[in-house]
Amino acid sequence: MAHSLISVEHVSKVYRRDALQIPVLEDINLEIDKGEFVALMGPSGSGKTTLLNLIAGIDVPTKGRLSIDGRDISSMRETDLARWRADTIGFIFQLYNLIPVLTGFENVELPLLLTKLSRRERNEHVRSALTIVGLADRMDHYPRQLSGGQEQRVAIARAIVTDPLILVADEPTGDLDAKSAEEILVLLNRLNEEYHKTIVMVTHDPRAAGRAHRQLHLDKGVLSPETPAVVERSRDSR
Amino acid sequence: MKYFRFIWKNVFRKKIRAFLTMASIVLVLVLIVVLSSFLEGMEGTTGTGKGATHIVVQHATGLANFMPLAYRQRIEQIPGVVAVAPEVWFGGMYKDDRPENFFGQLSTDPETWAVIHDDYTLPQDQLKTWQAERDSFVAGKQLIDKYHWGIGDRIQIKGTYITGMLDLVLRGVYTGPDESNIFFHNKYLENSSIGRLSRTGIFFLRTKTPEQVPVVCDAINRMFENSEAPVKAMPEKQFMLQFAEMMGNVKLLVRSIALTVLFTVVLIVANSVAMSARERTTQIAVIRALGFRRRQVLALVLSEAMVLALLGGLIGVLFSIPFTHMLVEGMKHSPVAPFAYNIRISAATLLTAFVAAVAIGIVSGFVPAIRSARVKIVDGLRQVA
Repeated sequence: MAHSLISVEHVSKVYRRDALQIPVLEDINLEIDKGEFVALMGPSGSGKTTLLNLIAGIDVPTKGRLSIDGRDISSMRETDLARWRADTIGFIFQLYNLIPVLTGFENVELPLLLTKLSRRERNEHVRSALTIVGLADRMDHYPRQLSGGQEQRVAIARAIVTDPLILVADEPTGDLDAKSAEEILVLLNRLNEEYHKTIVMVTHDPRAAGRAHRQLHLDKGVLSPETPAVVERSRDSR
Repeated sequence: MKYFRFIWKNVFRKKIRAFLTMASIVLVLVLIVVLSSFLEGMEGTTGTGKGATHIVVQHATGLANFMPLAYRQRIEQIPGVVAVAPEVWFGGMYKDDRPENFFGQLSTDPETWAVIHDDYTLPQDQLKTWQAERDSFVAGKQLIDKYHWGIGDRIQIKGTYITGMLDLVLRGVYTGPDESNIFFHNKYLENSSIGRLSRTGIFFLRTKTPEQVPVVCDAINRMFENSEAPVKAMPEKQFMLQFAEMMGNVKLLVRSIALTVLFTVVLIVANSVAMSARERTTQIAVIRALGFRRRQVLALVLSEAMVLALLGGLIGVLFSIPFTHMLVEGMKHSPVAPFAYNIRISAATLLTAFVAAVAIGIVSGFVPAIRSARVKIVDGLRQVA
C-alpha cells in the first residue's frame, strides 16, 4: 500500500499552564495524500491551528506519531526539524506576517537565505514566485505600500519560493475582503492543481473550505467524520 | 554577508531610537578617547626614547627646599653621567595672574642645556646667541604660537616666591615633547635670594644609556644621604608624575568614571536591542517557522547590536579626534596647561576605544539575543504583531 504524504496516528496534544492541563487534541488519526487540498474547519478553540502547527512541525505532539513523506517528525531534534521545515513546508498566515522593513522581493527571498543558492539563483527563484502570484511588478514595494490581498500574495510567494511539498495556511482569507479572498482562493487552487502542492488550510469560511477536496471538522479536539466537498468544487470548475 | 541587508534594515527599523542609541555610544567613545589621551598626557611622553636617559634630582623633603650648587661637581663625577644642569623653577607672573598666562619658567645652564635636553631641538645659531647673552631666553614653539613672540622680543616676568623681575629677550625657539616652558640663564638669578645662597631647586642630568638611570639614581641618593641636604634622584618621568599625583589619584578617578559610563551605555544599548527584539517576537517566530534555527536567530540579534555598536564606535573614534584637539586648546588656557602639551591621541587609545565598542555590542546584545532565540514559535505567532 502506498504511503500517505501526511500521516497522523493517535496524536494528542495537551497544553500545560502551571498545574493546569488543557487537552487540545485527542487521539487524532488522519491521512492526507500528496496533491490533496484539505480544509480544517471547526469552531474557535477546537484545535484546528494546533493540528496545523503539528503537521507543519512548529509544535510537537504530547502523544502519537506524525510522519510526513515517510519521515517521523514527532521525534526529530529541533535543529533537524528547522531544516526539514525550510525544505518541506510553506507557511501562509492569516495576518500575512511579512517583515515590514523588507520589500516584497526581500520578504520572498528570506527563506532562500537558508539555502546554498547563489545570489543570481535566488533572484530567479524570487522573480518566478512573484510572477506566479501576479506581483512581479510590485517586488520593490514595502508591505505598507500593498493592499491586504497583495500582501497575502507576497506571503504566498514566500511560501512557495523554496518549492515545498506542503503548504499550510492558517485562515489565509480571514483578514481579507470578499474579492481579495476569492483571488487568494483561486491562487491556492492553482498552486494545488498546476503545481501539485499539497495544501492544508484552516478556515472558518465554508466558501473557502468549499475549494478543498476534503473538509475535516474538529470539535473540542476530536476529528468528526469527513464530508466530501463535491458541490462547491464542481461549481467552481465550471 | 547575505544576511547583512536584513540585519541592517532591522537595526534602522526605528530610526530615532537607533540614532539615539548610537549617539550614546558615540558620546562614550569620545569620552574614553579624551580621558585616555588625558591620562597618557599626564604620564608624559618623557621616559621613553631620548627622555629615558634623563634624571631629576630634588631635595629629599620636596621641591620647596633647595640643594647646594656644589653638589653638581660631585654628581658629574659619577660614571655614566653625561652632563648636569642646575635648574630653578622661577614661578613668576607674565602679564597678569590669570591662569591662562601661566607657563613654566626655568633657569638653567645654557652650556649644558642642549646636551641634557637631547629630546629638544634648537637651531645651533640660536643656541649660540642664547649662550652668549646673559639676559636672553629660549621658549617652546607652542608658547611662541600662543603669544606670537618673535626673536628679539622682550618680555617681563614678575617674581612671586623668588623676588625680582625677569626682563628677557627671546633668542631661540625650541621644539620637543614639552613646548610649554621658557629657559633662561642661571646667572640671571645670581643676585636673587636663591642665587646669593648658591643653591638650586633641581639638578637635571642625562646618562649615556637608559640602563644607567637606576644605577646613577642610586649612586646620587647614597652620595648625599648623610649630608645636610639629602636628595632624591629619579627618572624624569617619575618626577613629572609627582605633579599629576598632586591632584590625588586622578587616574583612578578618571578610569572609574570611564568604566561607569561604559557600563551605563551597555545598559542603554541592551535595553534598546531588547526592546527592538521584544517588538519583533512575531517576526522572530515567523523566521523560525520558515526554518531559521535558534542559533541563527541569536546571531542575527547579536549582529544587530554589533552593527549599532560598531557604527557608533567608528563615528565616536572619528569625532573624538577633533574633540580632543578642542579640549587641548582649551586646556592650554588653564592652570593645567603644561599637561595639555603632552596630550596626543595614540593608536593604542583609538584601538582601545574601538575594542570598547565591540565589547558594548557583544555584552549588550547577548541577553536580548538569547531571549529571542528562546522564543517558542507557537507562542510568538500567537502574539499580535
